[in-house]
Amino acid sequence: MRPGERFPDLELPDHTGRQRLLSELAGGDPLVLLFSRGWWCPKEQRHLRALTALQDEMEVAYARMVVVSVDPPEVQSAFRAGLGARFVFLSDSERAWLPRLDLLEESDTTHAPYRPTAFTLFPDLSVHSRYDGFWYWGRPSADDIRRDLRDISRRVREDFER
Amino acid sequence: MASLPAGAAWMSFDGRELRAGEDGEGFSFMIDSRCLEGPPVAGAEAWVFAARDEEAALPYDQPEVQGARQAALAWWYGMLGDALVCHTTLALDESRCAGAITVVHGETAARPADDPFGRLFAPTCVSCDLFGLVAPPPGPVIERYAGAPWPGGRFDRA
Repeated sequence: MRPGERFPDLELPDHTGRQRLLSELAGGDPLVLLFSRGWWCPKEQRHLRALTALQDEMEVAYARMVVVSVDPPEVQSAFRAGLGARFVFLSDSERAWLPRLDLLEESDTTHAPYRPTAFTLFPDLSVHSRYDGFWYWGRPSADDIRRDLRDISRRVREDFER
Repeated sequence: MASLPAGAAWMSFDGRELRAGEDGEGFSFMIDSRCLEGPPVAGAEAWVFAARDEEAALPYDQPEVQGARQAALAWWYGMLGDALVCHTTLALDESRCAGAITVVHGETAARPADDPFGRLFAPTCVSCDLFGLVAPPPGPVIERYAGAPWPGGRFDRA
């Protein structure tokens, strides 16, 4: 998935086990979509802690965040609570979407997780930016996300500049 | 009476019964219209946390009301699980919150006393067949969309 392409409308259970559609979760707002290895990875813990801090801005700025991992919902629910996150985690524990998205982290033969990859999406799920995070510094910082969300919002909110 | 923004529907509560529409007796407020759009869930129970009158309403921007929405996203919806039918705040206008309604069906360990909006307004439990299933909001947004009662509304009407 590259900038300009439309992201598939993923349908997966959330951290409570409720079936969700990505388009429903976007709800007409810009969306940060993070594919994460899982709760066990120190890099994921570090990065998600940093991005959870950003939710205090996103909650008043009409932007959404969704994390996808291969953790089962009950594990995601515990991990989410530990982070203090107030956004949705989606569980692909069945690896239903992982091969279709070509995001398998082949070097981890224990967990067969997602390769850390982040996307900022327009409300219609078209890709604004992609971040390949196998190497930690490839991941989006809070400032990268702020910059993307500003640009997306400028382009989709008709009254952004008035 | 305030004008009705997109994503809102009128409801009234007389202390015993909820009625859809703006002509009911008692206290009138706006709810997330999606709660009335789907097939009603029979045998549901509504936990109504309503201000006793307009004077007792609180600004949506007040930290306690923001905190109740944050708590709902953080743990309340997860605690309700499949028992949750729908949830809406009660809006008097674009700025004032007159409470919330949590609609449940079936078994749940959650109790009205656990509801984050129970910190703000006293609960009344009402049996009703008015409300349809609405998935809980994904978060983290707690702001209202163009004056619609949280968590309803959206800026694009797709």
